[in-house]
Amino acid sequence: MAVASTKKKSAQENVLLKAYTHMLKLRVAQQELVKFYLDKKIFSMVHFYIGQEAVAVGVTDALTPNDKTMGNHRSHGHYLAKGGNFRALICELLGRSNGLAKGKGGSMHMIDKSVNFAGSTPLLGSVAPLAAGSAFEQKYNKRGTVTAAFYGDGASEEGVVYETYNLAGLYKLPVLFVIENNGLSINSRIKDRRAPGYDLKKIVEGYGLTYERANGNDYHDVHDKARALVEGIRANHKPAVLECMVYRHMAHSTPLTEEKYRNDDTLEKRQQHDPVKNLAGELIASGVPEKKLVALEEELRASMQSDIAFALKSPYPKKKELYTDMYSN
Amino acid sequence: MAERILKFSDAIKEATDQMLAEDKRVYVLGLGVPQGAGGTTNGLHEKYPGRVLDTPTSEASLTGLAVGSAIAGLRPIVHHDRVEFSLLAADQMFTQAAKWNYMFGGGNPVPITIRIVVGRQWGNGPQHSQALYSMFGAVRGLKVVIPSTPYMAKGLLIAAAREPNPVIILEPRWLYGTKQDVPTEMYEVPLSKAKVVRKGKDITVVAYGDGLVSSLEALDIIGSKASVELIDVVSINPLDIATIRKSVAKTGRLLCVDTTSEAFGIGSEVIAGVMKTQTLKVKPVSLACPNVPCPTSTSLTEFWYPTKVDIANKVLSMLKKGGVKQKLSFEELHLAPSLTLK
Ligand SMILES: Cc1ncc(C[n+]2csc(CCOP(=O)(O)OP(=O)(O)O)c2C)c(N)n1
Repeated sequence: MAVASTKKKSAQENVLLKAYTHMLKLRVAQQELVKFYLDKKIFSMVHFYIGQEAVAVGVTDALTPNDKTMGNHRSHGHYLAKGGNFRALICELLGRSNGLAKGKGGSMHMIDKSVNFAGSTPLLGSVAPLAAGSAFEQKYNKRGTVTAAFYGDGASEEGVVYETYNLAGLYKLPVLFVIENNGLSINSRIKDRRAPGYDLKKIVEGYGLTYERANGNDYHDVHDKARALVEGIRANHKPAVLECMVYRHMAHSTPLTEEKYRNDDTLEKRQQHDPVKNLAGELIASGVPEKKLVALEEELRASMQSDIAFALKSPYPKKKELYTDMYSN
Repeated sequence: MAERILKFSDAIKEATDQMLAEDKRVYVLGLGVPQGAGGTTNGLHEKYPGRVLDTPTSEASLTGLAVGSAIAGLRPIVHHDRVEFSLLAADQMFTQAAKWNYMFGGGNPVPITIRIVVGRQWGNGPQHSQALYSMFGAVRGLKVVIPSTPYMAKGLLIAAAREPNPVIILEPRWLYGTKQDVPTEMYEVPLSKAKVVRKGKDITVVAYGDGLVSSLEALDIIGSKASVELIDVVSINPLDIATIRKSVAKTGRLLCVDTTSEAFGIGSEVIAGVMKTQTLKVKPVSLACPNVPCPTSTSLTEFWYPTKVDIANKVLSMLKKGGVKQKLSFEELHLAPSLTLK
């Protein structure tokens, strides 16, 4: 018994360590990008994902590699969580020809079909019907896979998103809508954008979909709820909405901790709920040596810095590339 | 009177402030307007409580609400931060606001102003930098203008807000940092008229918005090598072709500068309008962006927009004069200008 439970404990610890590694990868990637952005090396609009890592990783860990995910303007984390390639990402941000979209898209346009990250678009709300369309194909071809869409509380206010809940419910599509509710749409606070008594749970359930709310700062809560929802979706093709309450640690699209509009989600609160720091604390409390986590971070950072160095030496697209790729052959 | 140099964005804010003060029916609606909308509305929500309103991220519905309130007699100024975002409200702009008066046989004004920012800027790419001018020009029932200077930005907004019809103002974000001497008092710039900016006799250059500013800079490069008549299109709906024809009748040469793809561009429309009634000394030219989406990498956008040097050289070559060689810096190519206009 004792041996079995120790084994189980260490297996759990391994799972958690893996999740932590993924979240840390997202965090370190963003931190490296911040430095870069401040050095004025990136000429692509960047939206930083710092603080929301538990959502991307918690949800993606509940999926199989064959499931698909799609995202919005803030999708570096969504992409990396799906097993994305940081080197190709940074090449894209630097406008190089070996980037994810050959430099044509930039930061708001992540795509990598090799890991089933099916694309991201900054037009708010558009990802909901697009992901429903992906799920439609999965159902149509009886693939048994699902699609998860990531978007924010701002995007969730677009009419097309509500229309899509109905449509996805009508066609019984295997789709998971993940709302990252950070309370902000650029600098507009949610309380200035929602009717008193607005209740997303009632709305979603009113469309016949399943609704869950998770603490998006907590990997466990996100992961457990996402897993249960995905199981439900696979079993009965009933689409679901997972609303994750998170903090956007930085300004909308600059790496500053701009405080002017943030009376509710103060810097102190954000730091207190930092998902990466808190998971590290949990691991240390369960006996993982802190040294190990520090080494892990150093290793990730070194690897990313070498990716950045590679990207900086990568070629730019040639002028003739302007005219390629508009149509498929 | 002493000069008062104002930024493009501040000129918009001043016009908005003055309209809010002048007319109780005026209110401002749009995502983020209390926080400033690029410096064009900040502070106004405190000065005019309840009249500068934040919205849900719901373009279709907020625009429709504004149209409905205009039909009922208010005078909303709506702000959309990019053309692409405004497209979610296409029905409300193109099919509701634009047709309401006509389809009810008149007597049903829709006094709404919709400010839409055109997103030319580094790093914006295919989904954030479309201009789509021709789309707005093609919809009957709208008045559509493009300000090219802080002076125009203020005067056009005041004219639009006092107008009984739906007016779309397509504001090039590229120009938000440009500066100019702007009068303190309220004034209108007529909505449906082109403007001769510089008189000349050899060639007519027709431009608008960001391209107008590049054309002004091109004139400095050309210097005394050619006498250029520069026309600011100002209004693309309706298009004031008469002013352009009059100029071309004098010069016999026509160059149009477009800061969007050539296909279905304003240049094509101007050239068609002129050629129907006039014969030119040389073939008309439209200097425009390539017929592909605008990419993100600066190594590609470098070739996307016509520059002041391109414009100068095109003018000189149409006059069979030698061109100039001038290499533009990264900043000149990719960063929005902050120059002070005359
Ligand atoms: C249709 C549309 N309207 C407006 C915008 C401008 N915009 C870009 S990001 C953003 C805020 C979005 O907030 P949310 O969806 O909550 O995502 P977050 O940025 O908080 O991650 C806005 C308003 C847009 N990209 N698309």
